[in-house]
Amino acid sequence: MMADQVRINELVTAVYENLENQHDWTNLETHSQSANNAALPRPMITGLPPRRLYLHPDDQIEMLKTHSINEIEETPIMEWVLPTHLNEKLTLKEFAAVFDSLDSLQPSTPARPKRMLLATIHDDSTVVYYFIHDGIVKPRQN
Amino acid sequence: MATTATSRPPVRISKVANRYLLFDIDDVIYLRRNHNIGSVYIGLIPQNPQQNVFNGLPVELMPEEAQVLVKKKAAYVVDDAVFHLCRLTSLDYLSRRAYEQSLQAEGRQAQLMSLEYKLQNTPDEFRNKQKKTKTKLQQTSSEANVAGSLATVRAAHREEEPNLFDASPPTSRRQSQAPKESSKGWPVTPTTSGILLTPPPELDTPSVPVDTPPSYPLFAHLQHKGYFTMPGIRFGCDYNVYPGDPLRFHSHFQATSYGWEEQINLIDIVACGRLGTNVKKSYLIGGEVSGVSKAGVSEKEQKEVEEGVPPPVRCFSIEWAVM
Repeated sequence: MMADQVRINELVTAVYENLENQHDWTNLETHSQSANNAALPRPMITGLPPRRLYLHPDDQIEMLKTHSINEIEETPIMEWVLPTHLNEKLTLKEFAAVFDSLDSLQPSTPARPKRMLLATIHDDSTVVYYFIHDGIVKPRQN
Repeated sequence: MATTATSRPPVRISKVANRYLLFDIDDVIYLRRNHNIGSVYIGLIPQNPQQNVFNGLPVELMPEEAQVLVKKKAAYVVDDAVFHLCRLTSLDYLSRRAYEQSLQAEGRQAQLMSLEYKLQNTPDEFRNKQKKTKTKLQQTSSEANVAGSLATVRAAHREEEPNLFDASPPTSRRQSQAPKESSKGWPVTPTTSGILLTPPPELDTPSVPVDTPPSYPLFAHLQHKGYFTMPGIRFGCDYNVYPGDPLRFHSHFQATSYGWEEQINLIDIVACGRLGTNVKKSYLIGGEVSGVSKAGVSEKEQKEVEEGVPPPVRCFSIEWAVM
């Protein structure tokens, strides 16, 4: 159990440093508890990417019409990051639990986040990032 | 359209060798328009079985699709082998006679067409071979033969128009009157058995149970939300999910079903997420919510569970984050 905790903490640190140093994120913070002191399923990281990371395709079309897309891209918003290791196995139940726990994490944030970043680390220290949206969200027009 | 949707009798799904098939183009159009079922055309031309792009009827439904339609009471499933046996053995005298007559008529039709074809082609052949006086005589005689038998068959055909009201048992009259082999028509194997459906089919009989795969809850969820689904083998998933008719839209998701507590390899999320992003899709994972804690399932959804359809499902859409 203790070793497990150590392993997870190292995982969080590795992802934290990858975000900070490779991807130039700022305002990084590690959270291990929700607002009412209940433990999160696993520690999570929040931070501010240098540019807007995600734009819903419908918003994108709207902004292309009003020519405000560059402006939006320059105003990043906070993202939630879930650090994981490639050898781990997760379940739908665990993903759901993470989203449900985000609900009560910070009373100051207006709405529950609709997405998080799944950071998956490999033994060669590569970290890959995937968006996980809660629910059926159509893909981006890239 | 709403009126047609309600007034229409349920669609008949034929279960043949564990496949769920639709043979009626009207049913296919109806399901496509009203129940967002596109599905796969599997009909081939026997002369060209290699081509597999522009297939025709029948349409093969996935077991999930059949099950969803049965639950919506929009269709019922019939085991076709059992149905044929039952129908053929339980026909009353009139229906049986009508059926036999239809088979005979078909045979005579085939014979007639063949004879007419022969008659049309003989003069050409004859002209080509005109130089050979020897064959000339032979040719004309065979021509006369064909014409003669054609007349016999035509007469027999006219006489034996299917007559449902003729209730008298079959007598030897016909056999004695037309002893010639040629006028009986050819024995044909019918290509369809649609005639067996003419007394209105078995609406009250219970639908055959459908074996659905474990991914059924996810399918039902997507179907309920109005998405079209196609088999997902092309993109290594359970379903290709389209926001509208697959003829008009590209698919938005590759969906894979998991059990609520089934362990998902992160390498699969990475691989499928990356594949999906490369083909402009989102990788959708989802499954039926089970266990005591039903957090995240709204009361409305809970109500739907009590009514039977669809099971509560939670989904997550995965995209590469481009970083």
